[in-house]
Amino acid sequence: MPADAIVSARGVKRRYRMGEEEVWALAGVDLDIQRGEYLSIMGPSGSGKSTLFNMIGGLDRPTQGTVVLDGHDIRKMDLRQIAYVRCRKVGFIFQTFNLVQVMTAEQNVMLPMTFAGVDDTTASRRARELLQRVGLGERYDHRPEQLSGGQQQRVAIARAMANDPDIILADEPTGNLDLKTGEEIISMLAGFKREQGKTIISATHDHKMLAASDRVVYLVDGRITDVKTRDQMDISTGTITDRVGS
Amino acid sequence: MPETEKIAILPYRKVFQIAWQGLRIRLVKTFLVTSCITLALAFLTYILFSNGMVAGVAERASEALRQRLAREGILEQMLSAEQRTQTAWMLGIALMNSFVGIVNAMLISVTERFREIGTMKCLGGLDSFIVKLYLFESLCQGIVGTALGMVIGLVLAYAEGVSLFGREAWTLLPAASVLRILAASFFSGVGLTVLGALYPAWSAAHMEPVDAMRSEV
Repeated sequence: MPADAIVSARGVKRRYRMGEEEVWALAGVDLDIQRGEYLSIMGPSGSGKSTLFNMIGGLDRPTQGTVVLDGHDIRKMDLRQIAYVRCRKVGFIFQTFNLVQVMTAEQNVMLPMTFAGVDDTTASRRARELLQRVGLGERYDHRPEQLSGGQQQRVAIARAMANDPDIILADEPTGNLDLKTGEEIISMLAGFKREQGKTIISATHDHKMLAASDRVVYLVDGRITDVKTRDQMDISTGTITDRVGS
Repeated sequence: MPETEKIAILPYRKVFQIAWQGLRIRLVKTFLVTSCITLALAFLTYILFSNGMVAGVAERASEALRQRLAREGILEQMLSAEQRTQTAWMLGIALMNSFVGIVNAMLISVTERFREIGTMKCLGGLDSFIVKLYLFESLCQGIVGTALGMVIGLVLAYAEGVSLFGREAWTLLPAASVLRILAASFFSGVGLTVLGALYPAWSAAHMEPVDAMRSEV
């Protein structure tokens, strides 16, 4: 594993049982992700990109192979260690926002800090700062149902940043948003990478996301078929050649 | 991995605070679920008390009351084999009604929150946190719903008792039986509520978070 890799996957396979059939969602993936990198995982639905994404975040464990996250093998962690990783090292952003509906924006952002053992006063102050930063300073007291999709996703971003994780994992973060809002979300993520050196990993088939990426990994049928760095993507003309399609 | 890199277990006070807040915000839903428990328990408590009173007539009623009941044909009817079978049926239905009503209400209210459970696990919530959260929520609902139901059942049973047996209704059941019925009602109400909530919460808490979030109900 290279010294500066924050995530390192080796021979990762994941099998699912679908009724009688066994499906290999991942059929052997090797991938190193550098600290401070903006990486997009691209592929059609059913390609295994969500599965890979879940592996990286410790939401799922490989059937075979290893995923090493910040120097620690996910398969060797117990429940409380996995919870620690999900809480402190990784921040999740989902396509469907997944805010806790009964909590206000502020309480949603406080939740990971509560799990991390931060006291309420400190957590509340930091939550409001983070909401301010994503442009929702005035709306800390609103519940998800009182916010638009874009606003909910911004709350989710603030929540992902709550414990100052090294990695932000975003699963189709723009999938449920209109073009303009989606762009705002992407530039926010790119800002975290640029200003705070966060590692951004996103599963997507949104071409806007690709332009912000340092590297794009193409996944088909559970295997990596292509990797492109920023230089190899034709960004200067504003078009991105996408060999796999989505 | 160093020992310090483990998530801490939240204190009960904090879990209770989160549970209580959820119940308050979901007020209408909380009220609906609680009223299911209340209804079931009102029925159960009512049946248990009125049965007890009828049984008490044979053993403890005064001669005057017995004669009045006999004159009006009520005594015969109350002690008939047919009536006893009917009572046994009513008791069975009351028990089933409470069981199905309460467990169903709790199953639905927890399974529709699987996504929330998955989300909390993604943010670092431990399985035990999820289980405790639902334990507290269901305990609150169980205690309030059961207590209300017991009061309603008790009032109905004694109102009927007084109209049938006059003032003697109060003495037909010895204190020990009253306490036994109250305890049985209370524990079955709270027990069923907690059971109905904990079973789905426990299974969701032990799923991988992605599976919990994906499951549609």
